[in-house]
Amino acid sequence: MSDTLLEFSNVVKRYGDTAVVDGISFTVARGEFFTLLGPSGCGKTTTLRLLAGLETPDEGEITLGGRCLAAPSRGVLVPTDKRGMGMVFQSYAIWPHLTVFENVAFPLRVRREPKSAIAKRVGEALQLVGLAGLEQRGATELSGGQQQRVALARAIVYTPALLLLDEPLSNLDVKLREQMRGELQALNRRLDLAVVYVTHDQAEALAMSDRIAVVNHGRLEQVGRPAEVYERPRTRFVGDFLGRTVIVKGIYRNGAGQSWIDFEGRGRVAVQPDGKFHDGDVVRIFSRPEDITLLPTGEVAANQVAGRIERVAYMGDHLEYTIAAAGRTLILPASKKEPFAIGTDIRLGFDPARITTLPQ
Amino acid sequence: MSELAATLARPPRLRGLRAIELSVLLFFVVVMGLPIVFLLVGSFNVAPPGQPAVYGFENWIRAFGEPQTLSALWMSFAFSVVRLVPSLALSVTFAWLIARTDMPGGQIVEFLCWFAFFVPDFPLTLAWILLLDPNFGFLNNIAQALPHVDGPLFNPYSFWGIVWVHLGTGGVWLNVMLLTPVFRRLGATLEEAARVAGANTFTALWRITFPVLSPMIIAIAVLSFIKGLESFNTELLLGLPAGIYVYGTRIYDYLRQEPPAYGEATALGSVFLLVLAGLALFYRRYFQGKRKFTVVTGQGYSTLRIKLGKWRYVALGGFALWFAIMMVLPLTFLVIGSFMRRYGFFDIKSPFTLAHWQALFSDPLFLGSLQNSLMIASLTALLGVLIYSLVGYLLASQRLKAPALLEFFCWLPWVIPGILMSLGLLWVFLATPLRGILYGTVWGIALALTIHDSPVSTQAFKSAFLQLGPDLEEAARVTGASWPYTYLRILLPLVAPVAMTVAMLNFGTALTSISTPVLLYSAESRPLSILLLEYSFNGEIERAAALGLLITAIICAMMLIGRRFGLQMTNPRRQEARPT
Repeated sequence: MSDTLLEFSNVVKRYGDTAVVDGISFTVARGEFFTLLGPSGCGKTTTLRLLAGLETPDEGEITLGGRCLAAPSRGVLVPTDKRGMGMVFQSYAIWPHLTVFENVAFPLRVRREPKSAIAKRVGEALQLVGLAGLEQRGATELSGGQQQRVALARAIVYTPALLLLDEPLSNLDVKLREQMRGELQALNRRLDLAVVYVTHDQAEALAMSDRIAVVNHGRLEQVGRPAEVYERPRTRFVGDFLGRTVIVKGIYRNGAGQSWIDFEGRGRVAVQPDGKFHDGDVVRIFSRPEDITLLPTGEVAANQVAGRIERVAYMGDHLEYTIAAAGRTLILPASKKEPFAIGTDIRLGFDPARITTLPQ
Repeated sequence: MSELAATLARPPRLRGLRAIELSVLLFFVVVMGLPIVFLLVGSFNVAPPGQPAVYGFENWIRAFGEPQTLSALWMSFAFSVVRLVPSLALSVTFAWLIARTDMPGGQIVEFLCWFAFFVPDFPLTLAWILLLDPNFGFLNNIAQALPHVDGPLFNPYSFWGIVWVHLGTGGVWLNVMLLTPVFRRLGATLEEAARVAGANTFTALWRITFPVLSPMIIAIAVLSFIKGLESFNTELLLGLPAGIYVYGTRIYDYLRQEPPAYGEATALGSVFLLVLAGLALFYRRYFQGKRKFTVVTGQGYSTLRIKLGKWRYVALGGFALWFAIMMVLPLTFLVIGSFMRRYGFFDIKSPFTLAHWQALFSDPLFLGSLQNSLMIASLTALLGVLIYSLVGYLLASQRLKAPALLEFFCWLPWVIPGILMSLGLLWVFLATPLRGILYGTVWGIALALTIHDSPVSTQAFKSAFLQLGPDLEEAARVTGASWPYTYLRILLPLVAPVAMTVAMLNFGTALTSISTPVLLYSAESRPLSILLLEYSFNGEIERAAALGLLITAIICAMMLIGRRFGLQMTNPRRQEARPT
């Protein structure tokens, strides 16, 4: 791939005996918005800090635009200040003793840019993040959202090779967060700047990213486009982490070039043939609740499973049914338009394109 | 070969950090570890100084053959223990009144405590002599007029005299300043819960507040106790005339003999080190188990103060009375004393004169000493900031190989009395090639004082850097700044208020310390504090009073200026910078 900007290959970082980053590999293309998503303590922030050079890898190799940044086996390690990255910290790390202007000008001063160029570029950067006119404010006189913008301006003022964002939105209130989400994405497009974004918020990740890497226990569980990881999660963890899931147990059947999951005579759902499973294996199928249709009482057809309504909860904009099906209790949302009464025998319609088969 | 590769692979930042850590450790080993080793070894050296060493137990036998030696150790202990109870009771009461009650004028009271802390103890002790001396003490003269009193009522040259004077100097006020924020942080929630559960104010205080704070109070008690063991100035002025020796003055006495009894002094010092090691062990043991109950404050934090009702005026009155007796009265008499022709003789014609001040300012010794003192104090302040900001940074960085060892060295001077450290340093100075630069010079004294300042200075810098957190530094590094640039442009400016405070504190202690320079000075490097000591030993008490006042005035002026500029031990700007 010619437009690969960053290569992060087989990187391991240990603290004592625990590998916080346990052999993570991924690539980021030019201009790509790449997100590391995972629960706290999964190693995503450490991965980002390895990129920035704030942590030292124990194994593996990091290459940016053809230049090796870190390769412990060859004794290569470019120090943080020589990597030319831009980074926004979770706490923003605005220097409280400097004004807005001085904060943003700092990276340029470090690079010994001429004074006129500094004034011009700081002005542009502040314009870009919507803070023009606040140059002489003390950095501590700003609101959280404004501080976040200053941090962003400081990170992009010298056109970094890669923009690293460490949960930059987590300290903002909901409204501001949604606004900044859009602005970050726009910035990424406008500057054609590759972004590595760290978050634990799956909605953020899904809405903003070109690709998402789901991290758990220091390993990558899955890398892919948002729709891919959401709809076809490769592991139980990825499925659970990205949203609500419906999981039902069944038996894998294989015959005549077709594969399906059998629910003990109460229905069957077609699946893609998968070499991992053999005829008769007990498996689980996984779907998103919104991909399951509730159908009224009737003959159980293909890709349907019989169930019975056990409880109904009124949620305002929708109803939530508790349904017994295939030996499990499922909770599914549904429209208020055609309500089912408690005790009704219904059918669950699965979408074969949006289910994943997982081992028992 | 692989080892070489491993070394190369280490990031330059860590390599740099490791190098700094090693050099700081090495520095501490040389200036703290080495003196102690010299002390221990020296105590077994029975040859006179300068002669080839001969080892034996004679020093120990001679030192402990004298009953005064054991009694000096015992007196140190007794003083420290006896002082502890009233001093803690006072400081806990004051701190509680300031932080948790509606006593009027709490801010002024807090300021007065802060002020009193900076008033040096030696002038205060002089003032108490002016007030309580059996022959010319003002209060004794007044007491004479009372019926049934014949002979002096008070005698400062006694056990209780020394204890009394100590209640007015540094310790109590320092503890108030340490405890007030603790009481404040505790807030009212726990007390309110106790009140709701049916306890009255007093029960809540006794059953909840104090037990919750007990780890902190005990920690302060242990630290005060250890600090009390090294107490020197008051014991020197008041104890010597009465033949009351504590361990510090005893060492001083050994070294003043002709020829100086280095062997006995070091033997005594070594015993004391063992006692301290035992204490430190107890302290660690105790706190390993109990430390955990720090007060957690969070939501529902309430600062509602306890209503004292009518009693709040009583409380304020009590504090005012205490402050008047322990501070205003002695300082007033110091002023009066410095202006009296002959102190105590109020009846003679024109009893007041400027002669002592004139004599002081025209004394060539005074000018030289003033120069020395300012030089020593400035050096100490500067060295302290340079060294301990780095040490504080290292401790806060949490990337050290041996943080416990570094922390240990930083605390060491707290438990090693100034005179003992100086004794060890004296040996080190004499033994090194740097002898010419360090022995008997302002540089040597400044170095010794800097070492002595390590505990408070490092802790101040450490907490300042911890509060900053690593982000501000890392942000600068990511944007392309080298570590030295980051340190100068980001880190140091951010801890500047703390650096100023540390510098001023160290400047102040350097100006007033006697026990540290007393073994290290020479005629060329005599500081003001030693001149003060000489004046008072020579019976020139009026001139001593003038000099004492002058030192006090310099320090208070500095601290007031410092306060005006908002110096503080912590850095609240960072808190504001936190996103909400």
